[in-house]
Amino acid sequence: MTKVDYSSSVESAPAKAWAMGIAAWLVPGLGHVLQGKWGRALLLGGAVWTSFILGLSMGGHLFKFSGGDQGLSSLLQIPPMVGDLGTGLLYIACWIWGYGFANGPQQAALPTFEYGWTFLLVAGLLNYLSSLDAFDIAAGRKS
Amino acid sequence: MRHFLVMTAFAALAAVVFGAVAKDSNHERLMYGIKVFAEFMAIGLVLAWILYFIPF
Repeated sequence: MTKVDYSSSVESAPAKAWAMGIAAWLVPGLGHVLQGKWGRALLLGGAVWTSFILGLSMGGHLFKFSGGDQGLSSLLQIPPMVGDLGTGLLYIACWIWGYGFANGPQQAALPTFEYGWTFLLVAGLLNYLSSLDAFDIAAGRKS
Repeated sequence: MRHFLVMTAFAALAAVVFGAVAKDSNHERLMYGIKVFAEFMAIGLVLAWILYFIPF
């Protein structure tokens, strides 16, 4: 059986691409701004920021792993936390200032509570897509 | 009415990002964004009507 060497066909991404991807993740839209893609930055960053602000204004809450719940309950917090974490510094700033993590009965009674956390979650997921786009542009895979 | 507006906002935001990161030309991106928006709205409305008639 012959061994196939794939190492020569693997395309490595330049450090700049990783930097742009991380910048786009940290601040929605920044990865495209740094590459001069102003229109795309406005669309992608604007959509993520709008979704995040709408989510918070609708009373949604951000997920975090607390570890306080029993059994699998605490583990169930991890997937939505990873989604929320997609908003980068927006999530980290909210975490530092303790804003947006309230999950009490008053918060849950709001008619837009479910919409709120869905918008926050989707803001993070959309920003992951945006970060990959900024990475691909910097790596020369997209124009 | 609020539910419809929120659904529309959600579909629009998702369609903008999906349209912007996909395809090659601006025309293709625009058409894809419109298609995604229409699909989100249509599926949302169909699901809403289905759930409306389910009694439990």
